[in-house]
Amino acid sequence: MSALVAGILAVLTLTLIKATPLIYAALGGVLSERSGVVNIGLEGILIAGAFTSVVVSGATGSPIAGACCGIVAGALLAAILAFGATRLGVDQIVAGTGLNIAALAAAAFGIVLVYHQPGATHEVPAFGRGGETALIVLAFAMAVLLHAVLNRTPWGLHVRACGEDPGAAEAAGIDALRTRFTAVVIGGAIASLGGVYLALAELDLYSDGMTAGRGFIALAAVIFGRWTPLGATGAALFFGFFSALQFSLQRAGIASELMQALPYLAAVVALAGFAGRVRAPASDGVPYLRS
Amino acid sequence: MQAVDGVDLELFPGEIHALVGENGAGKSTLAAIAYGAVRPDEGTVTAAGVVGLVHQHFKLIERLRVWENVLLNREPRRGLTIDAAAARERVRALGEAYGLRVDPDAIVETLPVGIKQRVELLRELDREPAVLLLDEPTASLAPGEIASFFATVADLAARGTAILVVTHKLAEVVAYSARVTVMRAGAVVARHRTSDTSAEEIAREMVGGEVPALAARAERPVETLLEARGFCAVSGSSALIDAAFTVGAGEIVGVAGVEGNGQSALADALAGVVPFTGTLNLAGTPLRADEGPAGRLQRGVRVIPQDRRHEALVLDWNVRDNAVLGRQRVIPFARYDEAARELIARFDVRPPNPDAIAGMLSGGNQQKIVVGRALAGAPALVVAYQPTRGIDIGAAILVQSRLIEARNAGAGVLLISFELDEIFACADRILVLAQGRIAGTFTRATIDRGRIGSLMAGHP
Amino acid sequence: MTMRALLGGRTTRDLLVVVVLVFGVGSLAMLLAHVSPLDGFGALFDGAFGTREEVAETLVQTTNLLFPALGIAIAFRAGLFNIGAEGQLVLGGFAAGWLGAQIPLPAVLAVPMVLIAGTLAGGAWGAIPGFLRARFGANEVIATLMLNVIAVLLATYLVNGPLALPGSGASETPTLPHAAQLGDLVANSRLTWAFPIALVLAFALRWVLQRTVFGYELRAAGDAPEAAKRAGIDLGRTALVAMTLSGAMAGLGGATIVAGELHRFNTGLSPGYGFIAIAVALVGNLDPLWIVVAAFAFGVLQSGGIAMQAEAGVPRDVVSLVTGLVIIALAGRRVVATRRTT
Repeated sequence: MSALVAGILAVLTLTLIKATPLIYAALGGVLSERSGVVNIGLEGILIAGAFTSVVVSGATGSPIAGACCGIVAGALLAAILAFGATRLGVDQIVAGTGLNIAALAAAAFGIVLVYHQPGATHEVPAFGRGGETALIVLAFAMAVLLHAVLNRTPWGLHVRACGEDPGAAEAAGIDALRTRFTAVVIGGAIASLGGVYLALAELDLYSDGMTAGRGFIALAAVIFGRWTPLGATGAALFFGFFSALQFSLQRAGIASELMQALPYLAAVVALAGFAGRVRAPASDGVPYLRS
Repeated sequence: MQAVDGVDLELFPGEIHALVGENGAGKSTLAAIAYGAVRPDEGTVTAAGVVGLVHQHFKLIERLRVWENVLLNREPRRGLTIDAAAARERVRALGEAYGLRVDPDAIVETLPVGIKQRVELLRELDREPAVLLLDEPTASLAPGEIASFFATVADLAARGTAILVVTHKLAEVVAYSARVTVMRAGAVVARHRTSDTSAEEIAREMVGGEVPALAARAERPVETLLEARGFCAVSGSSALIDAAFTVGAGEIVGVAGVEGNGQSALADALAGVVPFTGTLNLAGTPLRADEGPAGRLQRGVRVIPQDRRHEALVLDWNVRDNAVLGRQRVIPFARYDEAARELIARFDVRPPNPDAIAGMLSGGNQQKIVVGRALAGAPALVVAYQPTRGIDIGAAILVQSRLIEARNAGAGVLLISFELDEIFACADRILVLAQGRIAGTFTRATIDRGRIGSLMAGHP
Repeated sequence: MTMRALLGGRTTRDLLVVVVLVFGVGSLAMLLAHVSPLDGFGALFDGAFGTREEVAETLVQTTNLLFPALGIAIAFRAGLFNIGAEGQLVLGGFAAGWLGAQIPLPAVLAVPMVLIAGTLAGGAWGAIPGFLRARFGANEVIATLMLNVIAVLLATYLVNGPLALPGSGASETPTLPHAAQLGDLVANSRLTWAFPIALVLAFALRWVLQRTVFGYELRAAGDAPEAAKRAGIDLGRTALVAMTLSGAMAGLGGATIVAGELHRFNTGLSPGYGFIAIAVALVGNLDPLWIVVAAFAFGVLQSGGIAMQAEAGVPRDVVSLVTGLVIIALAGRRVVATRRTT
């Protein structure tokens, strides 16, 4: 194989690897936002998934157990946001920001508690090649599944109704607050797999700041994907490509910081180009207050 | 104050029962209680079957399809998924059965208002209600469509449904209902068999006395103030096409039309909120399409928007700061309080306290603030879009009187309203807006209700 | 009155929640770390107030939080979510450190130059999302979050690469000449004139918001954008100006850290002040004067937290954890969703 083809294949493979955590997070974001709740806390959920899966895998020796617990952790964190958003009607963006700060700090605290050293955990049993590939495939399968659920099932219709007009949904007898809560929690469970992948497939430990803003890039992917599962996946691949590019170009000797900034720059530029031309679900981010 | 106080209401199958009262009397609240959406603090609600409610402001999800709205939460299933084909068929059959045909696959936000109402109605009819509550059902219908609407309702009644029509349109009450219950300030003040009473008697019972008088229109010469030619604009889903009309200084031009026929485009373009094409001259000088609301305010154009809660007031702020909004740069900061007190006095805002929070005021008093500041400072052109929407009769008469007084003082007033009676009472000339175009012009002398109704429904 | 309505809730209940979170969750975390809450909180408060120098350090932390918190309040009041104070602060510090080290001027000019440089840099960084919002209606939440990361990367790149100055260590600028340094208020401490400057700005901001037409229009844009638009207020321009001022305030904060405490720019100059400041702004109900009080409260946690880690062995992350929880608890109720209107 010529070096060029090998090089291209390497970038494509790296794109998939870099995109997978973004896909999981973005899918979680799509489900949440289609129900009407903006989940800025995706970053925190990634952290929760990553950290928890590492600790459990280290304790039990099983990455699968780690993954399961990581999902539970992500769902729990999402439940906090969901509770605040539905029962208390809080500002979702502010609450999500708080969640991120708290999660990052809790993980850092947890590292010291469990491993008696700051900064990073020990290496733990992680997924091998097989497990890593399975997680990548699962991400795409999840996208298709979410697409089907949202568009073909009754629950999916109810979720979409709550995201557009919770008042009308309630007039039809749907419990908008409970539907939103469920959607956000399931979305959190999906998103946390992104953190599990980062910690147990791409690497085999958790370190402070490991998620590096991927949760926010995933939010951008939700917007460019027009709040659809397939669209968000495509956008996530797009951003993943920039991350992959950064790796390859770095070896070509261009300053590492500029390359690291590429995916984030891409997000900002794309925001400027796309925003205003896409419509979020009509009640996205608007707390529904039953009077 | 109680929204609803000690009310007894009985509905019988096969009967159309009218519930009347002015805005704020408690009719909609009572309907919500009967439907089960609101739980009463005291008392019981019993029904011999399903109760359906067609809301005044439709509870439709704009971006979903007709069948998704009609069958929401009652979707036909095939395994784990929705059986979309069965759903479409069910909606089609339902439409046929009741004479309310709609395309099941249409996206609701693309539908005209009258058809949206059909969807709302079908949603309730699918549940086979024993009792059907209709809240202000003819608000969005052309005069000609009202008769056929009530024909459908009568048909439903004949099939055994008990029907309650909540309305403030007494002509319809007299024409179509068998019984009428009158509410005022939350309580029932009268019950009649419709054949035993009259519109005048009901009106007096609604208001609790005589209806206050409207200000008189003064004789005065009129010069052209606003001239529109080839005027086109789009605001959201509302479109105005090729409009040509004039408004004179010292006259009220009423714009009659069913909701959704271009009124919002007209109002928003004049307000500078959306751009326009064509010519708009104010006092001889063109208005620029790109100048925005600030420019319009400077030219002396004041717009009273349709939705005071979201487009005119800052609900969290006090009356003082709201009274100044729109003139905040024209009045020196130190004079804000003085200007607010002047407005409160002139427009009888209650409570007369500049520190009261606007969100706590009644709809009527909120509207007084909005109208008051629009009329302050002798504007050249006033665009009043549904200026008496959802407010009690006393406040409505005050608002209409102030508009007439502004007209008497030389302002040009463009009164856009969905209530024909309001236009007939206040306007010097009437334009009929249908499907975005000006379909006809009338003066007070040439008013022809039948013709106007016909034009409003889109018949040439 | 408006601010409280913006955030809903009664202030006393909110303060109670904060106290419960701080002491409740804090105690729980301390117990997990095998430290008695008495020892842990004891070390914290002793570290914050024990000696004169420690009180001064608490005020230093207060100042470092106060600048970005005031900036965040400006943006929030205008209906904009500026989550990018951290990046604006970092770039402000960089501009201050870089210019100050290069240009020799007497103190009376050097100090203002350094502070103005930081203000302008922060303002420019805030103007970017402001412009994107004004011109394209772009979501400033994501934009500011992205720009945070980009800011640190940019500063690191510049300070080590094309703008590297002789005599500097890795990822930092050389020491500022004495003339460019802010004078100390308390000997043997890092407390400088930055503190009174911040206080004056808090009062000034309150006055501008409540007593000027500019403040009136800014608040209208935040509280009722549709009504504000129809009242002739240019929402796009308000967004741009508010975000620029917000960034400028944070940038000034970065400059004071560089000129006052560190006497050089270092990419690690902020332990997340831009994020903690969000909590400060919320606890202060977006009212500049209450923000001063809130900044002090969080300043106590910050300076005491260092001592708590050193003396009692409780990781400082507990403070960040509690801060995050406070933000969630005080997220309050927005009556108007303003995110997507321009």
